[in-house]
This record gives sequence, C-alpha cells and structure tokens, in this order.
Amino acid sequence: MNSRMDSFHFRFEALGSGCEVVIGSGSKKNAQSIAGCAIEEVSRIECKYSRYRTDSLVSRINAAAGHDWVECDEETLSLFQYADTLYESSGGLFDITAGVLRHAWDFGNAVVPGQDVLSRQCSLINWQSVERQGNSVRLPVAGMEFDFGGFGKEYAADRAAALVYRKGVRNGYVNLAGDIRVLGPKLDETPWLIGIQDPRHKSRTIASIPLFTGALATSGDYERYFEVDGHRYCHIIHPRSGYPVTYWRSVTVVAPLAITAGSCSTIAMLKEADGLAFLEDSGMGYLAVDHLGEMYCRNTSSGF
Amino acid sequence: MVSVATTKSTVLATALATAAIALPSLQFAFAEAAPDQGVVSFKYLHYQDSQIGNGVNVITGASSAGSSSRMGVNAYSMTASVPVAGEWSIGTTFTSDSVSGASPMYHSSNLTKMTDLRRAIDVELTRYFSSGTLSFGTGYSKESDYLSRSYSFQGSLSTEDKNTTFTLGGSLNSDNIFPVTNPNAYYSKKLYSGIFGITRILTKNDIVQFNVGYSNGNGDFSDPYKFYDNRPTRRNNTTILTRWNHHFDWTDGTAKLSYRYYTDTFGIRAHTLEGEYVQPLSNGWTVTPLLRLYSQSEADFYVAVGAVEKADPTQPTPPPADAVYYSEDQRLSAFGAITLGLKVSKSLNQDWLVDLKYEEYEQRGKWSVYGNSDKGLAPFGARSIQVGLSRKL
Amino acid sequence: MKKYEMQKPLYVLLLMIMLALSGCAVGTAVQPWEKETLARPEMTFEGDKLDTAYTEHIYSSKEGASGGAGVGGGGCGCN
Repeated sequence: MNSRMDSFHFRFEALGSGCEVVIGSGSKKNAQSIAGCAIEEVSRIECKYSRYRTDSLVSRINAAAGHDWVECDEETLSLFQYADTLYESSGGLFDITAGVLRHAWDFGNAVVPGQDVLSRQCSLINWQSVERQGNSVRLPVAGMEFDFGGFGKEYAADRAAALVYRKGVRNGYVNLAGDIRVLGPKLDETPWLIGIQDPRHKSRTIASIPLFTGALATSGDYERYFEVDGHRYCHIIHPRSGYPVTYWRSVTVVAPLAITAGSCSTIAMLKEADGLAFLEDSGMGYLAVDHLGEMYCRNTSSGF
Repeated sequence: MVSVATTKSTVLATALATAAIALPSLQFAFAEAAPDQGVVSFKYLHYQDSQIGNGVNVITGASSAGSSSRMGVNAYSMTASVPVAGEWSIGTTFTSDSVSGASPMYHSSNLTKMTDLRRAIDVELTRYFSSGTLSFGTGYSKESDYLSRSYSFQGSLSTEDKNTTFTLGGSLNSDNIFPVTNPNAYYSKKLYSGIFGITRILTKNDIVQFNVGYSNGNGDFSDPYKFYDNRPTRRNNTTILTRWNHHFDWTDGTAKLSYRYYTDTFGIRAHTLEGEYVQPLSNGWTVTPLLRLYSQSEADFYVAVGAVEKADPTQPTPPPADAVYYSEDQRLSAFGAITLGLKVSKSLNQDWLVDLKYEEYEQRGKWSVYGNSDKGLAPFGARSIQVGLSRKL
Repeated sequence: MKKYEMQKPLYVLLLMIMLALSGCAVGTAVQPWEKETLARPEMTFEGDKLDTAYTEHIYSSKEGASGGAGVGGGGCGCN
C-alpha cells in the first residue's frame, strides 16, 4: 500500500523457542521501538505465567497449593475465567491443572511411566476443585499445579499483536514459535503465506496457508516426544488416562485470535477421533493430519 | 449430519471464541476502550464570506452598491486529550477567533462589530466502563461584549454484544450580552438541551446512528445591534439526526451520510443532508470530497427586504405596524444552501497527521424547498480553508 | 397552527426509526472479531473534532438551524 514503507523483521527468543515480529513501517527506528514494546510484552507474560520460573505468579500459586489463598490481578482472573470456558467447552479435556503429568512423563529420558505413577498424578488433576473467591485463588491439594502453557503462548501473541496494532501498524504479524497473529497483509496487500510443517519431516511443509488477518496455531505430536518400541509418546497428554494422545499428528486451526486457534487445535488433539467433528462444527478453518498421514482440511484461506 | 452433538460443539466453539474476546487487550479494537494514547491537534481556519452584486431592488429595479467581501474570520484552535490511569481521559480545547469587516447590511450582519476577538475554552472528562462511558464537560467563551458558559454531561451504555449503544446527554448554556452600543443594556439567555441517541452496528461494514434532540431556550434572542429586532423570549427546538456510515471493501473507502430535520418555535423548519466519501490512497494520503445541502423555511416573524416601503437590504425595513415580533436577520429568512468541499490529509508517519480542507458555500433564497423566499436578498457565498496538524503522544 | 401539523408525522417517523434501530435482530449480529473495519476512525461518528467545531460554528452563525449531534460546547455572540 505504501511504496516507501518496508517490512522489518525482528527475531527473538522467548518462551523457550524462536519468535518473530514483523512490522510494516516507514521508518526503521519506529519499527524497532514498536517491536521492542511487543517483545517486552511477551517477556512480561512469560515472567508472570511461566511455571519454569520460580518467581512467577503461577509458581507462587502452585507453591501455596493445599495451603494459602493467593490474590490475583484482573488479568490473571480473566485468564482463569477463560480456562473455565476451555474446561467446559472441551468436556473437561482441556484442564489447566493437567500440567502435573509432566512430572510423570520425562521427555528427556524417554521412559514410559508406570500406571501407579500416572493414576497418582491424574488424581491431582481437577479444575473444578480449584477454589476461587473474589480476587483470590487456591489449589486445594498440595501437589496440584496450574499450567498456563496450554494457551499462554497464544495469549502472548495476541497481546503483543494488539499492542503493535495500537501503535498504528497495519501490516505484519507476531509469530511465537508457530502461533501467529496477523496484523494485516503484506505491504503489497497480498497475504502472508504461512507454511505448515510436515509432522514427520522437520524440513518439509505440507501446506501453505494464506492469511490477510486473523491467527493460526498448530498443535502436533512432533514438538516434544519420544519413541519406545515404535510407539510415539508426545507432550499432549489426556488428563484422564494420563497417556499422550495418538490420533492426530498435527492440527492447525485458523481463527480470528491466536488464543482461539490454539485452544481449538489443542482440544481437537485431545478429542482424538472426535476431534474432526469438533473442528467441523467450530466454524474455524483447519488442516489436520491423522495418525495415518491422511489430511483433512476446510476453509483455511478465508483469512477472516 | 446436523445432530444434537454437532449443534452442541458449535455452541462450545462459539463460547470459546466469545471467552477469548473477554480477555483484556487481545482485540485490535474495543467498542468502548479508553484511549491509550494522547493526541494534540492544532488547526487554523480562514473564512471569508461575500454577498456580491446585491441590492437589486425588486420593486424599483434600482440597484444599490453592496460590499463584495463582508466578513472574514481567522481562527486558531488547539485540542489535547490524554488518557489517565487507563480508565479516564481528559480533553481540552482552546479556540481563538477574530472576526473582521462585518458590513452594514441590516438583513445580513451588523454595523458595529468591525473586529472582535473571541476566546473559548472547554474541558471534558470521560470515564470508560466495560459497558459504556460517562463524561462531563464545561465550556467558557468570551468576547468583548459577550460571555457564554456551558455545562454538559453525556452517558453511553452498550449492550453486551456491543452492537447497540444508547446515549443520553444534557447541557445548560448560559449566555450574557453587554452591547457596546448601550452600556445600560444587558441581554441574557439560558438554553437547556437534551439528546437521546441510538447507535447500532448493522453489519461489519455498516453503522447507523439516530439522535433526537430537544432544546429549551429562554431569554433575549433579539439582536441588540439591529434596528427593528424583537424576537420571542422563548425558542424551543427539536432535531432528528440520522447518520449512516458504510465501508466499501472493493475501494477501501467509506461513505458517510447524514440527514437532520430541525424545527423550532420561531417557525423555522430545516432539512440538512450531508454526504462525504473518505478514500484512503497510498503513501498515507486520504481524500474526502463532501457535499452538503441545506434548506430552511422562514421564521414566523421574519420581515423581508422591502416588505413595507423600502427595498434596500443595507437599510432597515420597518416592520408591519401590527407586528409584535419582527426581525430582519437574514438567517431567519427562507433559503437553501449548498456546500462543496474537499479534505486532503496525509499521515507523515505513525504519529503525525496533516490535513487541508477547502469548502465553498452558497446560499440562495430561491433554493428553499419551502418557497416564500426573500427576493430582496442578494446571493450569499463563503469560502473557508482549514489547515491542521495532529500528533499522537 | 402549521407547526402542530408538522409535529405529528415527525413523531411518527421518530417512533418508526427507533423501533427499527433498537429492533429485534436486524440480520445476524456482528461478532466482536468482525469489527476491525468499524474501528477505523472514518467509521465512527466523531470525526475530526476541531473541523467539526469550526464547521458547526460557521453554520450556526449563517443558518437558522443548529445542533442535533451532541450536547455542550461554548456559545458565541453570533447567535
């Protein structure tokens, strides 16, 4: 749209992976300062909600499990509210207290945990038992944990994009390790082409999805996994069985917001065979690859 | 394949999307969001009107000399608004205008106001809530012979889906005039106004607004500088305003249409139809052509040029002997008007915006859709130019 | 009495528009994520504040009718 404008790419590390913000602007200095704000926002969210940081709010709440109430701010309360909807919408499959299973599944050492370990951890998963009163929250049983990892990255992508948008940027996107929120098309008004990784070949793509605006997120069994006896154990774990899901290799969803796209793709993964019907009814565009490599897709190019 | 289950998951997905919207600051825009940036704008206006070749006496055929340029205005104004504490916004506007060269035309303007300086300031405080806004404002305007104060409030309330917004506002204006020609005279009037509006989003490209306004005025409406000017001490008016903005995806432009109906107890009824089209171009340029059509009926007590025995708009026309109220203010006659304008603006970068606007205005008695125009009045025209500069903070 | 003859259709019109606007579901409701176009400044009814103030000021000093869009603002000696 603007011949004197350029697209500026800024790469950074956050949330344990490679991230990128792309800004169409008439001045590099301006783009730099805006990108700085976006990166700052992502790192703010990481500091506040990462369970890997002992000083984060989430770690404080987790440490107080079975004991104290922790007072939360408005942002956190609204995220709990969102988590509640996630739980309800997924029939209890998307549960932000399911993070305790990661203590059982050690992806570094590739060991399948025993049934007793899994059932002990599963007994600590219960969003409905979480006590919320006014501005305070309490995990009722020691050992219970919150994990905002299921939507924190997408939330950060949306927040950062909204911030950049408010600074007047209308072309570009925010990409946090594949979870993308688009601000607006390329400077020549053509869509951004988002390559979707082949879940079995890291360097190949299976599709390229054009996006003018909106968001895209992918959940897959290839991000963190190990294989034992030809069986793949990925990091998306069913909260009731305690075992990783196996039906889908990857699910990509195109939605207006990254958080919606990410939540829908994760729910579809967790629903296994029923995930397709869920995606079909969700009204969102999707591209799913099942355990046999079969692809299913709908309406991913609508671009909202 | 529509089963109970599919319907259910459609509902669930919608619930998810709706819940995501409820999270703070994910959307690119909220319906009612406190601004997170301040703005400072400056604008200069030059206005010049003229009533050329006037004074053709419809009765005698004699023509009288009229000034070709009557009144000029130079105005400077500045407005600034800043967000406070995330939920408040405070804004202030300062205007200074000087009027010069009013001509001695009794039906048009008055003799004494050759130059005058007006200074006005207003302050507005707005509080943003999740479902609406509340704002309070006060204004102060002063000239050598005139003082005006205003107080206003306005509240808006949006439905849960933010597709419908109701607005309710009220104001009080208190005006005092101390005519320079008569140190003992004192004129004052009070205006109570109320407005109710509905704004509704119809589609993702259409938004409409409907406002009803009522104003109750008491006091001296007569012009202290005019001979033969005695107006009722009450002027109540009702306005209906409908506005419609439509965005065209294929041009990326926006058409803005508005229609206003006005009626008051002076007997004036007026239609105003306005349209503009905002077209963004490349490199941050935007052009906006506009057209405005206006037509009004005369006031019940308007005295036309030459209605009695004289027929020169530069001279006062005595009112009919039995008249209780009378005025020969041209603004109270029946006429129509057309404005053509063009505004060009350019964003220099994310923060700076400059704009230029040019308007031509023509007023003719015969353009009144109500008829009964004053044939003694010469065509009136004006042109104005605005230059503006605005910066986001 | 011509004024009162005018008033009646006026209020009928008024009532009709209000019913249409507040009206029950005109088409499908626009969803929050479909409002990016509506958020553009030209799609709002506010517009350029100083431009509007000048324009309204000039029209109210040259024409009989005024107001309709909002409340407040200082008066002037021209009226």
